[in-house]
Amino acid sequence: MIWPLGIWTASLLILAGGALGAVLLRASWQRREGTAPALLAGGWAILLGLVIAAACVIGPVKGTALALAMEGIGALGVVWQGRVRRKAARVREIDAAPEPLEEPGRFWRGVLRTLLAGPLGMTAAMAVAFCVTVYMPGDPRTRIVIGGLLMPVLWGLAMTWTLADRRLLRATAVLVGTSAAGFALAILGGMISGAAA
Amino acid sequence: MSNTRKKQWRWPISPETVRSVLSSHSVLGLAFAAIIYLVCLTGTIAVFAPDLQRLEVPGTPVATHLSDAAAARALTLAAKQAPADAALYLTLPGPAKEGATLVAYKPDFERNWAVAEDGTLSSLEAVWTEFLIALHICLHLPRSWGGFIVGLTGVALLSSLVSGILAHPRVVRDAFHLRLGGSRRLQEADLHNRLGVWALPFHFTLALTGALLGLSTLIVAVLSLLLYRGDMTRVYALFIDPPPPVDARAVPMPDLTALIAQARTRLQGSEPDNIVLERPGRADMRLTVHGRRTKLLVAQDEVQFDAHGRTIHEEHPRDIVAGTRILGGIGQLHFGWFGGLAVRIAYGLLGLALCVVTSSGVTIWLARRRDRGLPAPHWERIWAAVCWGQPLVLALTAMLAFFLPTAPLTGAWLILTAVSIAVAALARQISGACLGRIGRLALWLTLAVTILLYAGRTLIA
Repeated sequence: MIWPLGIWTASLLILAGGALGAVLLRASWQRREGTAPALLAGGWAILLGLVIAAACVIGPVKGTALALAMEGIGALGVVWQGRVRRKAARVREIDAAPEPLEEPGRFWRGVLRTLLAGPLGMTAAMAVAFCVTVYMPGDPRTRIVIGGLLMPVLWGLAMTWTLADRRLLRATAVLVGTSAAGFALAILGGMISGAAA
Repeated sequence: MSNTRKKQWRWPISPETVRSVLSSHSVLGLAFAAIIYLVCLTGTIAVFAPDLQRLEVPGTPVATHLSDAAAARALTLAAKQAPADAALYLTLPGPAKEGATLVAYKPDFERNWAVAEDGTLSSLEAVWTEFLIALHICLHLPRSWGGFIVGLTGVALLSSLVSGILAHPRVVRDAFHLRLGGSRRLQEADLHNRLGVWALPFHFTLALTGALLGLSTLIVAVLSLLLYRGDMTRVYALFIDPPPPVDARAVPMPDLTALIAQARTRLQGSEPDNIVLERPGRADMRLTVHGRRTKLLVAQDEVQFDAHGRTIHEEHPRDIVAGTRILGGIGQLHFGWFGGLAVRIAYGLLGLALCVVTSSGVTIWLARRRDRGLPAPHWERIWAAVCWGQPLVLALTAMLAFFLPTAPLTGAWLILTAVSIAVAALARQISGACLGRIGRLALWLTLAVTILLYAGRTLIA
């Protein structure tokens, strides 16, 4: 019943809770000799507990979405509070992030990678997602929406993998194979379910 | 050496794989940076569409309550001003939405009104807000193509989030580091990583829902090929109530006030959220009242009446399958229109964070090139023109809409964007950093003037 009465109150409470959780995690993170299990557990317990509480009190989707957004803002507030000013223009080796792998640029590899990450990745993702849609038990509407949600996730994963993998032939074989097998199975399942309908 | 390295390395994937994934993150980020930035920027502003509409149209009534009689009056008034076969969508005020609005829609016709507490209508044609939302949804391209490109951008963003996390072995070690000043690259990397990691659930939700919304036409097309021999209407029919059989005979309108009151009693504890009136004054008329429950994201109760006032359909949450519920909530979750101003502000802040993540990603790449003695000054200028130029161009189009509401905003946006990028590419004497400072200054000035203009007019009205 919090929702109509005090969305602002609920939001501010979660924001403050998110910040408190982040403060505890930060206190553990700042220790030079290992982490403090109590602080770590306390911080995560607050963050997770708030999500669960918000889901129960405000609503499963509304509450979770609100809690994740507000906690994120609260935690970022803690990060901002702990900012430091540097003067050194050079990056110490210990602070340096890993460097991306450099490959000599070859035109055909670029074209193939674009095809793999784009159309082929999309086709393979669709094939797997629609296999799930066709063969998953349950109401067709739920199956369609689950398949629809899976498709961008799988395509995104295919993009990450194909752009990171240097063995382009392997990636091509896997994506082509997945697309062919997935669509064949989905068409077969579609024909069976279509005939049944 | 290698033993020490093995001990220090606590990430589930090897250093070489991390570098490969980082390379993938970099390639994808650079390829889609400008479009991700544009979609995120317009999306961040679009979150405030209900507020912008009221700012754009001065004197818009903001009803805090709409009685059944007022709702019926609004529908009757709108029916007189819209084509007979247009559908009227009346959204009632509620905890998540201030004010009542009414839209008359058919494929080649659309009119928007704000509804006052007595049911009278006032025009709510907010041209700039509509321009902004269309830019976000389909980049002002034909709907299916534009939607596909925006959906693809969502997929690229999803992929970048995954590769960004996989390529970040220092996620715990740097969890709270924010080192500003000194090395530009370290500063931007800290901003990029902290904003990216702590707001990750939000960014993931946004990218996934956005990708699904953008790719929905393609997904439905392929699914219909697989399941229904290419008949897309059969897929849509699973989610949308089929229209009643056509019967264009004129009949007197039923007592809408009584029907809405009757629906209220049938909604089983839920409050009326929106009312849809199809084909008013015809024998095939249909009135649908949707009800919302406090804990649910979207309205899931529904009562339908025909032209004679008979109840023809009734639906409650227990009758709705999971798929329909998920689909109904995707838009609300994406735009943050489910919890009032507090949620809109949170979405706005985190959307802004995503813009900074996108912008800093390219800045890191440019700074890395500079550190390695391979500066790309033309790209530095172009990126400054995109980052500061796009908000500036949007502010200029808002100013144009203020003075000339009928001006072609899409054309103006396109020309200003092309000019800003061309100037940045050709102005070799100016550095990217300097162009960024100029852009920032111009943006703040334009934004201040635009806000003053709109706020001043609202205060006067």
